[in-house]
Amino acid sequence: MKILKLNGERKTLSQSEINEFFNSIKLKFTKTTFEFDTVKINVQPKNWVEAHEILKNEFKLNFFNWLSAVDWDNEVAVGDPPKEQVTPMFEIMSCLSQTDSNNLVIISTNISKEIPDIESLTPVYRGADWHEREAYEMFGINFLNHPNLKKLYLPDGYEGNPLLKSFELISREVKPWPGDVDVEAMPEDKVATEEEK
Amino acid sequence: MSFSTELLIKVGIVLAIAPAMALACTLLDVKGSAWMQRRPGPLHVGLRGFIFPLAAATKYLQKETIIPDEVDEPVFKWAPAWVIAAVMGLFTIIPLSPTLIVRDLELGVFFLLAISSISTIGVLTAGWSSANKFSLMGGLRAAGQLIAYELPLILSVVGVVIQAETMSTVGIVEKQIEFGFPFIIAGQGLAFAIFMIAATAEMMRTPFDMPIGESELVMGFMTEYSGIRFLIFYISEYINLFVMCAIAATIFLGGYHFPFLPTEWVNFYGPLVMLGKTFGLVFLLVVVRWSFPRFREDQLQTLAWKVLIPLSLLNIMATSIMKVVF
Amino acid sequence: MATTMDPNNLPFLSEASVSVEIETEDMTLNIGPQHPSTHGVLRLVAKVNGEKIYNVEPVLGYMHRGYEKLAEVRTYPQVTTLVNRIDWVSGFANEIPFIAGAEKLMEIEVPERAQYIRLILTEMARISSHFVFNGAFPLEIGALTPLFLAMEDRERVLDLLESVTGGRFHPNFNRIGGVKPAAGAGPTTKKDIQDLPAGFYHDTKIAMEKVLEAVERFENLIGGNEVFKARTKNVGILTKEVAEEFGVSGPILRASGVPFDLRKYSDYLPYDNFDFDIPIGQNGDCYDRWYVRTAEMRESAKIILQAIDSMPSGPIQSKVPKVIKVPKGQTYVRAENPKGEMGYYIISEGGLGPYRLKIRTASFSNISILPVMLEGALLPDLIAIMGSLDFVLGDVDR
Repeated sequence: MKILKLNGERKTLSQSEINEFFNSIKLKFTKTTFEFDTVKINVQPKNWVEAHEILKNEFKLNFFNWLSAVDWDNEVAVGDPPKEQVTPMFEIMSCLSQTDSNNLVIISTNISKEIPDIESLTPVYRGADWHEREAYEMFGINFLNHPNLKKLYLPDGYEGNPLLKSFELISREVKPWPGDVDVEAMPEDKVATEEEK
Repeated sequence: MSFSTELLIKVGIVLAIAPAMALACTLLDVKGSAWMQRRPGPLHVGLRGFIFPLAAATKYLQKETIIPDEVDEPVFKWAPAWVIAAVMGLFTIIPLSPTLIVRDLELGVFFLLAISSISTIGVLTAGWSSANKFSLMGGLRAAGQLIAYELPLILSVVGVVIQAETMSTVGIVEKQIEFGFPFIIAGQGLAFAIFMIAATAEMMRTPFDMPIGESELVMGFMTEYSGIRFLIFYISEYINLFVMCAIAATIFLGGYHFPFLPTEWVNFYGPLVMLGKTFGLVFLLVVVRWSFPRFREDQLQTLAWKVLIPLSLLNIMATSIMKVVF
Repeated sequence: MATTMDPNNLPFLSEASVSVEIETEDMTLNIGPQHPSTHGVLRLVAKVNGEKIYNVEPVLGYMHRGYEKLAEVRTYPQVTTLVNRIDWVSGFANEIPFIAGAEKLMEIEVPERAQYIRLILTEMARISSHFVFNGAFPLEIGALTPLFLAMEDRERVLDLLESVTGGRFHPNFNRIGGVKPAAGAGPTTKKDIQDLPAGFYHDTKIAMEKVLEAVERFENLIGGNEVFKARTKNVGILTKEVAEEFGVSGPILRASGVPFDLRKYSDYLPYDNFDFDIPIGQNGDCYDRWYVRTAEMRESAKIILQAIDSMPSGPIQSKVPKVIKVPKGQTYVRAENPKGEMGYYIISEGGLGPYRLKIRTASFSNISILPVMLEGALLPDLIAIMGSLDFVLGDVDR
């Protein structure tokens, strides 16, 4: 059997190509940002599935990368709260990319915490199945029209949604944050102490 | 010496040497695998690895016999006995010299087929009575496999029988001495290849080890066995290896005969020659076992029914024609 | 005159064929969580009819450790110890995208020498991961010998990783802004920062030659094995379209004929300085998946040998503040891991640790394809397909 080989040529996109891709998306989706090499689109919840269809069919973003959510809240049980005040909400994010270039977009939408419902992406991308199940158990987000919405990782009787900011981490209750801060000395610092001796 | 006394002594000798041969085959298998896999353990640990089979046997003897609640107990307990009885029975027809044989049966080769099928019952009952889905699948696979490969096994021998004009194992060896060539050279090379492949499948050794296939069926029909019953399965596997290779050596490689040695001394060198040939074949199967993955179940059946059986029938036909012509 | 035998015209024959139908009952077979070939604790609930499977439902979570939650209560340098343990077969490679993401948010330039060290060690992690695959995959389809050969060869690579990082599986070697001095490198003074142990270049060259030898041996022993070919060719064919829809990445995607490798497409490490090929398969079957990984080992060894020869000198750590605070921002950085695309979406709110860290692991998406691929397969094919996907449960469950 013959095995094809890609030659050693480079495929990285040039800055102009990246900008061109960003601008073409920006034309279609107005709330698009490009920070830290990451294109991020914000859409309305009602356009959630439609946006994915457009990106799949028109922009050829066929590769379903991942889907997850963020729990935005000012009151947090673990970690640091955001520095600035945020509106409490769920931000659902999915990531689409291509397999013939490095183009990648993050699509996000904000839904309220009171009614955490969103249409499922499974009709567009079958691969969204497990990702949505994970978001369902970790955040309690309901994906409407999902074929098999049940817990993925957690045992059946598990109560609570672990990735919510209000969900306490027992180990941190036992040993409060920040514990022992372990900042390692830089090589220069080590040298300095040696010279002092 | 009366017939029964003689038989008792012979059975006693077989009962003594069969486990010894199993240990020797185990040793060869383990050391061969270690040699092929560059594993230092079996080549260096414990008197250069020579006490390994004894250590393994002792380990199994010490282990607790666990009988799960759901099993069909009498069937489950007796299944290993069927298997070991069948393989021990095959010792009857192995000649170490014209006189050093338990019984030179006229129907020797037919006896081989009849007795070796009995182990199928043991394997099937083991798989069924274990009340385990993996065991059940292993048992069914084993039954299908043993039935499929019994045919090429015996059909390949039919060619030899036609050429030798006898079914007695001693008779076959004597015929080879008469010819001056073992049957593997004198026209039955193809039959030898078919016999060895079918025998490997009968023994359920890689690449035909699907009934056990530990990566698929955990341990197949042996999954629920432990302790001494597992040891019996394990030992009978290696006794079977020895017996099959001994039969192949007898039928195809001239058995106890070695050229240029005086025939009147055959009772002394015969057993040694026989063991040498047998362990040569065992080594061949060891190398095969550690070089190949296992076939898939359907590929196994295809190989038996579509390749081996037609080839062995062809071999019988060719042999018959040659017999008539010459 | 020839007569045709039509069974319908022979009433006794057609009646005889009525009672042949056998009633069968489907069986639910629980494969795992304790099963020799589920790579740990994956559980598959398979509905089988004899040897044929017509429905498989994977059950995950036996190894879920909640790293995304744990990362929220840790500082950035502490998170690297966590991400090491995601895919433990190639622990080093897991650190790279996280560290690169944090550096991107902090806008830190990493010294070239540090990047080269990262690159060499990442490729070593890839080689060691593929060695494990070359041992485990034949084992699953019934050949024991390659396992021992692969483990012996892998040991050389792990020894090198250990000599630099001090850890065989969980190096925790990357620092934001560079790498730490090597474990076995001796005292570090201002004039002479020992970043690699003595004799590292020489040992690496020898080890890579051994790797190339091992690849050739595997190509003969495994790839040239007729039984192996019979078991893997045209088994578990995955098309490009299905793979893309499920987010299947890495060698599995490339085996389906897609020449997508982030080492060529992205610039998280200076791969553009080296000449190497991306092996891709044609049919997307189990054999191609094996081939692609094995051929990749050769390319990785080529990269390492080139990197050793063109190793730049200079510092291995850029200047970073003592207490690392990442400014507010969000970024997604992904890298080509041995198992596929691994990425971290870091949301920083300017604190000591990330506000939210989404970990995209390769094996999770890769095995989400299992129910689709296994429909209608035979039970032995299930094992072959599962083995060819080369997943690690830590990478699935996180």
